[in-house]
Amino acid sequence: MLQLLIIGLLVAAFATIPVAFPWLAFVFTLVLAKGFAALGVAILLRAGLISIGHALFYAIGAYTVGFLSQGAGVDLLIPQLLAAAAISGVAGLLVGLFMVRYRGIFFAMLNLAVSMVGYTLLSKLYNVTGGTDGLAIATPSVLGMTLSREAFEHLLLYGGLGLAVVVCIVAHRYLKSPMGEALSAVETNEIRLEYLGIAVPRVLLFAYVGSAILAGIGGAIHALAVGHITPDLAYWTTSGQLVLVAVLGGIGGVVGPFIGATFMESVRSFAAIYAPDVWNIIIGAGLLIVIFFLPRGLYGLIERIGGRRDGQ
Amino acid sequence: MKTILAAVALTLAAAPVLAQDAPEGAPDELGMGIFTFTSGPAAAYGMPGRNAAELIIDQINEDGGIGGAKIVPTYVDEGQGGEGVVSEFRRLAGDGSVDVMVAALSSGNCMALAPIADQLEMPMVTWNCDTHQLFLNAEHPYVFRPNSSTVPEFVAYAAYVAQNNPDAKRIAIINPDYAFGHDAAQIFTAAMKAFNPDVEVVAELFPRMGTPSFNTEISRIAAARPDIIFSNLWGGDLENFVRQASARGLFRSSQVVLALGESALQRVDLPEGVIVGVLGDGFWNSPDAQDNEAAQAFAEAYHGKFGEWPVFPGMKMANTILVVKQAYEEAIAEAGKWPTKDELLAALSDIEAETLTGTVTVREDHDGLVDQIVGVTTGGGDKPALAKMARYPGSDITPPVGADPIEWVSTLTPEFAAGLPAPGSYE
Repeated sequence: MLQLLIIGLLVAAFATIPVAFPWLAFVFTLVLAKGFAALGVAILLRAGLISIGHALFYAIGAYTVGFLSQGAGVDLLIPQLLAAAAISGVAGLLVGLFMVRYRGIFFAMLNLAVSMVGYTLLSKLYNVTGGTDGLAIATPSVLGMTLSREAFEHLLLYGGLGLAVVVCIVAHRYLKSPMGEALSAVETNEIRLEYLGIAVPRVLLFAYVGSAILAGIGGAIHALAVGHITPDLAYWTTSGQLVLVAVLGGIGGVVGPFIGATFMESVRSFAAIYAPDVWNIIIGAGLLIVIFFLPRGLYGLIERIGGRRDGQ
Repeated sequence: MKTILAAVALTLAAAPVLAQDAPEGAPDELGMGIFTFTSGPAAAYGMPGRNAAELIIDQINEDGGIGGAKIVPTYVDEGQGGEGVVSEFRRLAGDGSVDVMVAALSSGNCMALAPIADQLEMPMVTWNCDTHQLFLNAEHPYVFRPNSSTVPEFVAYAAYVAQNNPDAKRIAIINPDYAFGHDAAQIFTAAMKAFNPDVEVVAELFPRMGTPSFNTEISRIAAARPDIIFSNLWGGDLENFVRQASARGLFRSSQVVLALGESALQRVDLPEGVIVGVLGDGFWNSPDAQDNEAAQAFAEAYHGKFGEWPVFPGMKMANTILVVKQAYEEAIAEAGKWPTKDELLAALSDIEAETLTGTVTVREDHDGLVDQIVGVTTGGGDKPALAKMARYPGSDITPPVGADPIEWVSTLTPEFAAGLPAPGSYE
């Protein structure tokens, strides 16, 4: 109960802080984008699978919006988001079909390899993707209304926040369902799970597709917020960042990745403002502190305050 | 320590200036956001830009600032990635601390920032991004580029080669593997073919950026026996390539063209006769710049402060800040008081500004007309120098407003190249 209260307070703070500091609205929109993708990564982490390649689905979501906006002339927000989710889901299914056979370092490296192929294609197919110069994305209209850029950005932030709440509830339910609980069983003892009559590949494929969809939604929000996308979105450093955000936030609860993303983006923004010459050192130091002192991530703090949930 | 010293010098220098007549409504400070790479491999070009910005801003502030207002720069590191750059641009534009942006080095970042500048109504003057796509099919009322784009830059090299090596037919290209490298290859090839239909490309290589060894590429180039080797590699890649290629004799067997070669003159030993240039007119040791006291004083001060002579990215940055200064001064003269944002935009939109190294004109599509200087290396000397220079007028080699730049290149003719200044005509 106390935990829910804390989370509610955090959501309220998240919604009100950008009112006081308007420039943070953009940063917080990016937080949501990264949060969705990191939640996808966190779901796989529950099964002990580290994907250093989820930037691929992040980029697929972003480029879906880019192609719809620039190539196909579809400048409607909701179809863009649905298409981003659908196409990254299909990509997740195709890639997931062979990924779910691998564990440990092989899973991590294969994801990395596939995402780097995606990165290379995005950079090399100059005439389709704009190469490293990227694609520009126009402000879409929403439910038939043409919004000013400012109004659209507010919609993206608060609509995104609403979506994040819904997604968190769904993800929480999923993780508490047999399919979700089977994920941590994969990590502890996969063979026992097979003996119980549960098809491990199916459990993992479901999680993989779900995580790809989440990353795709995140990428789409990123693209709409920034208004310009480049192949860097699929680069391994973006994947690495998503894993870091997930671990930083903690995989114990579904809000963990969002907390991690808030921490990461805030540290980055403030480091860039107050220490422009050493911003990368500050981020590194911040990560080390969290990893050393909060092994369960920032979400571990909430767990500690709210009492351990072992009994549930 | 250096920054503290600079800050102290700045405060001391600014003190006697306050007495000067300032236009009505002039603020004490003029915020300028400056975007460049200060971390990562692109800092090889970003840091000279940053250094030049610090120096020229100190000089301007010592002379009384812009209309009495002292320039207060805020530097943003483009090395933090696209979204960080966008985020910082938004913050600086939103909190009122910045009046004008000088951004950015990377073309990708420029294209990401341009629509945001329009949206936030923040004047943005670009200092390096040379993609010809910036104003292609897009109007940006708040964005100005008082610099050249890839098309005039690489057409100039083709024109130089057409006159300097008229018999050259086989060309090899080795460029970095991203938009800048591919654009340059396309433009240089199209222009070479327009100037001489017999030209053929015998090798076209795009090594990954940050490649430590170019041995395979060098072998392939050597096997293709090209007359001309063209490259727009830059930074550490350029230095590595030059070292490895000269050891393997490429400079003896072919005429090498290094589009960004001036920036490597102080770092590697280039043999005599390599065609190099500065992507614009930003060469501090050109005949025009030698006659310009301010340019020479700037170069000496740069050498004194940073221990090396300025390279062209630095000159581009200094020139761009001078364009901003002149735009403010014209707007002040026009308005009779401190200008509004619209008055500043009006001044920028048709400015013809004197820079340290020449003149730049901003035309109605907000793109700049800048001369291109190309020359050959002299093979040594204590200061970077070029021989056999040609200075191509920007208005002659820039595609007209509204023309598709790549199509325009293919309409060029051998007579066009013959009509341009000859190598050695700029002394």
